Amino acid sequence: MEQNNIAIEVRNLKKYFKTKLEIVKAVDDISFNVKSGEIFGLLGPNGAGKTTTINILIGLIKPTDGSATIYGYDIQDHISKAKELIGVCPQEHAVFKFLSGRENIELFGNLYSMPKDKIKKRTDELIDKLNFSNASKHKTKGYSGGMLSQLNLIISIVNDPKIIFLDEPTVGMDPRARRKTWEFIGNFKNERKTVLLTTHYIEEAEALCDRVAIIDYGELLDIGSPKDLMKKYESDNLEGVFMNITGRKIMEGM
Amino acid sequence: MNTQRLFALLKMELKKIIREPAYVFLMFLFPAVLTIIFGFTFSDPELGMPFSAMAPGLFAYACIFIIMIVAQSFSDEREQGLLRRLSITPMKASDFMGSQILSNMIIAMLQVLIVFILAQLFDFKPQTDILGILLAIILMAIFSLSSVGLGLITATISKSAGVATGLSFLFILPQMFLGTFIPITSNTRVIAIFLPSYYVTDALTSIFNGDSLLSANILIDFGVVSIVSIIIVIIGIQLFDKFGNK
Repeated sequence: MEQNNIAIEVRNLKKYFKTKLEIVKAVDDISFNVKSGEIFGLLGPNGAGKTTTINILIGLIKPTDGSATIYGYDIQDHISKAKELIGVCPQEHAVFKFLSGRENIELFGNLYSMPKDKIKKRTDELIDKLNFSNASKHKTKGYSGGMLSQLNLIISIVNDPKIIFLDEPTVGMDPRARRKTWEFIGNFKNERKTVLLTTHYIEEAEALCDRVAIIDYGELLDIGSPKDLMKKYESDNLEGVFMNITGRKIMEGM
Repeated sequence: MNTQRLFALLKMELKKIIREPAYVFLMFLFPAVLTIIFGFTFSDPELGMPFSAMAPGLFAYACIFIIMIVAQSFSDEREQGLLRRLSITPMKASDFMGSQILSNMIIAMLQVLIVFILAQLFDFKPQTDILGILLAIILMAIFSLSSVGLGLITATISKSAGVATGLSFLFILPQMFLGTFIPITSNTRVIAIFLPSYYVTDALTSIFNGDSLLSANILIDFGVVSIVSIIIVIIGIQLFDKFGNK
């Protein structure tokens, strides 16, 4: 099952939320594939349905209709198998404040049932890669926003996952930390990791993604490499592409 | 249940209690201070009520505050997205709830020891042997299940950690005044018999008075506390799993 070249397959996925007044179509009949080793972006303004799509794929919420698979494992029937293959970096800084950075990383390593020596080795390796060794000894209570984002990212890959879901990974980072994180994410490609990231930053999608799905109001509007999309919509950047498709800027949706 | 995950979570839970000053106060210092104050106050014969008569209630009283800690901690972790993050890992709900139950059982047993040691400084001379004390510790560990369950129910119906703190008193106050150190009258007994703390205090009083550990009274109290606590914790886990972790 895992030899499949398709890492993520999404078919006619729908998620509708009922409110007192209406039915909100958060994700409306979207289909796409993410190839193994690809960095794939979901680009759209806030509220477009990006996080809902990720939440369905990682088994946090059930879809209203449609299906999705992670390396062939149906996320509704085999979510436990799928969970062993994925790492998730959520938008919020979900770390335990009373634990140090290292203790947080090790806790999550244990939750993935990794052998003790492997947890230590992997923790050292990741801390080193992100230049995090000094901060890692202290409780995360005193961390800056940028440090928390980095720790958030490290925790999501402690289990050496095949697929990494990154939900707005650089929100709130200063330009330097953002560049460093892009470099870190870019390196996943050399490790043949598959990445599905959501972003509303045009530059982020252009810098990192092999392919981008443009999403708005729960609908998938177009899909392709940044270069192909720019060519198709005769634009210099993805902002122009989004503008040509929807008639408004990405930031207007925020 | 996976033991590696269970122990990693248990370690994390215990670190949370030890490293958060508010939790250290509520779990360990508060029962200690209360025992000392009550010890001093009721050692005075002028009051006409010996400290040894109310000491059993202090054991149960300390354990009741686990309700607030569990309610606060679950609500807080839900707000911070931590529960969602944990649920994305291969961790099972049983690993997580198991760690909650074990950590709070350990705390309840430590509370018994603290209150027991400090009560010795005053007029508290239990007429029992080591087996009786062991039974008292086990009883409190079982009773802590009901506090975990009520804490989970509180967290389920609370929108935030602040609300959870307030709402937890819905469960703390009745047990505090109708089942621990305040003497039960025929009027209050009508309500108290529905509270597990009433049976805990009753059993502890019998144990410390030197009754046979196999006496009907102790066995019935033990049975009621065990059954009720297990039912409450199961209800708490089910409710939180279905409605609380959203």
